[in-house]
Amino acid sequence: MDKEKLCSTGIEELDMQMSGGFPVGSTILVTGCSGSGKTTLCMQYLFDGARNDERGVFFTITEPLFKLTKNVEGFSYYEKKLVESGMVNIIDLRIISERLGLDTEKYTVEDAGALLDILKDIANELDVKRLIIDSITALCYRLQTREMIRDFIFKLGTSLAMMNCTTLLTSEVPPQTYKFSQYEIEEFISDGIIFLGDIDRRGDLIRTLQVVKMRGQAHSRTKFALNISADRGIELMPLLKSSDFDSLLTQKINSSLRNIDRSREKVIL
Amino acid sequence: MVDAVIEGLKERISAAIKVNQSVGIQVPENRHKDLLQALFSFMNSDANEVWTFVTASNTFKHIFMSFKKVYENKNIKFIDCISRSAGIPIIDTECTYIESPTMLEKIVLEIMNIFKGIEHDVEKFVVIDSLSSLVIYNDSEIVREFVSVLLNKARSFNIHIVTVVIEEEVDAHSLLQMNDKIVVLRDSFIS
Repeated sequence: MDKEKLCSTGIEELDMQMSGGFPVGSTILVTGCSGSGKTTLCMQYLFDGARNDERGVFFTITEPLFKLTKNVEGFSYYEKKLVESGMVNIIDLRIISERLGLDTEKYTVEDAGALLDILKDIANELDVKRLIIDSITALCYRLQTREMIRDFIFKLGTSLAMMNCTTLLTSEVPPQTYKFSQYEIEEFISDGIIFLGDIDRRGDLIRTLQVVKMRGQAHSRTKFALNISADRGIELMPLLKSSDFDSLLTQKINSSLRNIDRSREKVIL
Repeated sequence: MVDAVIEGLKERISAAIKVNQSVGIQVPENRHKDLLQALFSFMNSDANEVWTFVTASNTFKHIFMSFKKVYENKNIKFIDCISRSAGIPIIDTECTYIESPTMLEKIVLEIMNIFKGIEHDVEKFVVIDSLSSLVIYNDSEIVREFVSVLLNKARSFNIHIVTVVIEEEVDAHSLLQMNDKIVVLRDSFIS
């Protein structure tokens, strides 16, 4: 693909795995359990864009603004002047919902439509090229049916793609599972999936990253060990292959334990 | 006698590392300290070289207390793989502490980060002390893979690698064979 049509992630090794970056205008699902590095990856992507004159917006639903800002300030990629100049915009979606008079817990079809319009308006007005929703799981929780979720993500993705805006949606999944989303719809609407996981190596949890899907783009499906450091943000290194044995063993043990639990439940019943 | 062994070792290491990309050193447990002394003395001999010393057998604090002069040498960087997992307080910001010796990928990342800004023509060296200690915390298969990855990375960035194996730790012996050159230190002589 033409380099101009790719959007650098700000993580050198990840760009290399995708021949340069995300296809511009695509919607990528960044999925993983709590603490897997989803928000850090998204923030690094956002600040990298801002440094390259691509304005971005981060919509948070799960974390209050002051907490999110405090956490990100510790990373070397964070630059206050990019926030102050409006190149990086961090917006609490719950506050917007309240101002719109929407029920913050459950959205009707009309509410979802209004929210979609406001997201598009903000992206349009700020002329953003990078957009993040953290998390789509929390947003979908407020949408009452699978149809509403499908419709919302699809319309959001289409509108942003027309603006050449590359979107990351974070998705929360339980730990130690190979599942991409809570509602099992999000991954089908997305153009790409980046799966952040953990492997257990002798009791230590090692963060991992894998590019599972990237429509229209050749990419590696190698599993990487992921390191997060304040100085360098996210770093990747191919996971040592012998680790698979460890994680396979853990999965087998977990699955055996689940079976024992199930059989125990049957006995109790 | 000890000084003679250390001098002999320094010569052997110097000769081997100049010709080969990777050198494996097998040492009996009771000569391990002599080997470290020889290595640190060798590292101190040229201020233009850059060394990274990865320790998994002694904590950085222990090395610092045993070989105080090492600390004064700014061309040696340390990576301590065991202090944090043993709950030992971190004493120095000059040393990079790895959370656990099982995080082998992170060790490779930290080594490469240390050498990142260094010019190509500067001689670069890494010492892994020791593979035997890493085998205590990991399966020997994954340590073998770690050595293979590290050697290949080192070759492509022109970094010389010295790996240490303790003679009494049988599991780690086969790991030595992956090196270009093997130096064996016995109780009384070097072969």
